[in-house]
Amino acid sequence: MSRDEMRELQSEKLRKIVSHAYNNSSFYKKRFDEHGVRPEDIKSIDDIVKLPFTVKQDLRDNYPFGMMCVPMTNILRLHASSGTTGKPIVVGYTEKDLDNWSEAVARCLTAYGLGNDDMVQIAYGYGLFTGGLGAHDGVTKIGGTVIPTSSGNTQKQLQLMQDFGATAVACTPSYALYMAEEIRKQGLDINNFKLKVGIFGAEPWTEAMRKELEEKLHIKAFDIYGLTEISGPGVGGECECQNGTHLWEDLYYPEIIDPVTLQPVEPGQKGELVFTTLDKWGMPMIRYRTRDLTYLNYEKCECGRTAVRMGKILGRSDDMMIIRGVNVFPSQVESILLEFPEYEPYFLIEVDRINNTDTFDIQVEVKPEFYTDQVNEVVRLRQRLTARIQSVIGIQPNIKIVQPGTIERSTGKAKRAIDHRKFE
Amino acid sequence: MLIRQISVFLENEKGKFAEIARLLGNNGINMKAFTVSETQDFGIARIIVERDQIERAFNLIKSNSYAVTMTQVVYLECAHKPGAMADAMERLSAAGISVEYMYAFADSSSEFSRVIIRPDNTELANQIIQEL
Repeated sequence: MSRDEMRELQSEKLRKIVSHAYNNSSFYKKRFDEHGVRPEDIKSIDDIVKLPFTVKQDLRDNYPFGMMCVPMTNILRLHASSGTTGKPIVVGYTEKDLDNWSEAVARCLTAYGLGNDDMVQIAYGYGLFTGGLGAHDGVTKIGGTVIPTSSGNTQKQLQLMQDFGATAVACTPSYALYMAEEIRKQGLDINNFKLKVGIFGAEPWTEAMRKELEEKLHIKAFDIYGLTEISGPGVGGECECQNGTHLWEDLYYPEIIDPVTLQPVEPGQKGELVFTTLDKWGMPMIRYRTRDLTYLNYEKCECGRTAVRMGKILGRSDDMMIIRGVNVFPSQVESILLEFPEYEPYFLIEVDRINNTDTFDIQVEVKPEFYTDQVNEVVRLRQRLTARIQSVIGIQPNIKIVQPGTIERSTGKAKRAIDHRKFE
Repeated sequence: MLIRQISVFLENEKGKFAEIARLLGNNGINMKAFTVSETQDFGIARIIVERDQIERAFNLIKSNSYAVTMTQVVYLECAHKPGAMADAMERLSAAGISVEYMYAFADSSSEFSRVIIRPDNTELANQIIQEL
């Protein structure tokens, strides 16, 4: 589909969904009215910038069903994301919504080269989490065979994977690494497995992890992107080129905005990803702010697809700190650490203001095998990291090497930055 | 003679060396020699213990979450008289050897000073020391 045809389709769908949201949800009606915009004002996809944003707090405030735009009798399924703070986020799907969702996942699977001959082991959790059932429906859509193992019980996972001859596995990349490690520990031979594709998502991962997974599991490892609020996994996926995540923009329209000014950025510039669900009727999301920072590439992909590609998730807009006037994202520090084999990927940023100057301290750990009896080598190692961070982020950090095990290890929700500054 | 030395990475904070000394002390390990080199925010303690206690000392420190390494260093017994050390060092530098760091312990009741040398070329330095 050409970009013009896509815009035509997006415009038509946007008009319909905006009118649906306005007429069937007291939340959207109130929000649009306050913003001074009416459905008639939306004539083409370019008019989307006239619409107000939706944020996660709106879903919490309207817990559980306040944002549904159809009667509950038309809702066929509910999912919820585990909120670590406060109430969970609840989403509801009509029959058409479920169909579109599985279509989106199916497009991802096709892009990975999977088809009806494939057997996909789904090791995402089944339940309120969208990962398990979302992937499940997508595999069913392409006529593939589902092995619904859900997450956990690694020993059994591996046994079935080997005995059944699963050709693909869907799980978080960190769980896949864990499985690879278990294969090694249990003395299993990866050549006895038939895996060829890994479908990895639900958490950010790096090129280094991709390389490791591909080598250890003898697979091609693909990203699948999604979020519960928009529908779940499959909002986008990589193709065989592994050069950006194609977003299925006839279903989920993406924008990039400046998280401070809330204005759209120039095409290709980094900013916060915003989605509008163009064909989701149970609980449409209008200009939903994902807080994920990335950029979009509208060039046609080498695979032939014209669907826009999203770059790596660079961080979260709500993690951003402004230090000495420079925007700093903890994820930048993480990706730099991953470039250095000598350092552990764990860190803690501490920011303070002393004598009217912001301090920027980063605690890091050197891997045990890289310790030495020579002070100079440690000093050099620290200088290399300091220089690299300064060149990428633009300000000089004070790197503090701490003893092994000092920095908190828990993944995902680990506190990676502490801001001691007081602004009053 | 080649001997093994334990090096421990220490954050530059109060009581850090005491932690190591106490850990070894509580486990009946005596430090025969040590030196600490420091920068603004970390230091490296290099420690010599009895040969038959070194493995235990190393594992003990490691299992208590310190970054620890074991390195071969050259042990020199140098005559306790003027010019003896100069002789030794001249021989090493004549052979193109650089010394990364060294530390010494003189004991007036002995005719020798004990010197620990960490050269860039350990094998060659040891050979030269043997010939002194």
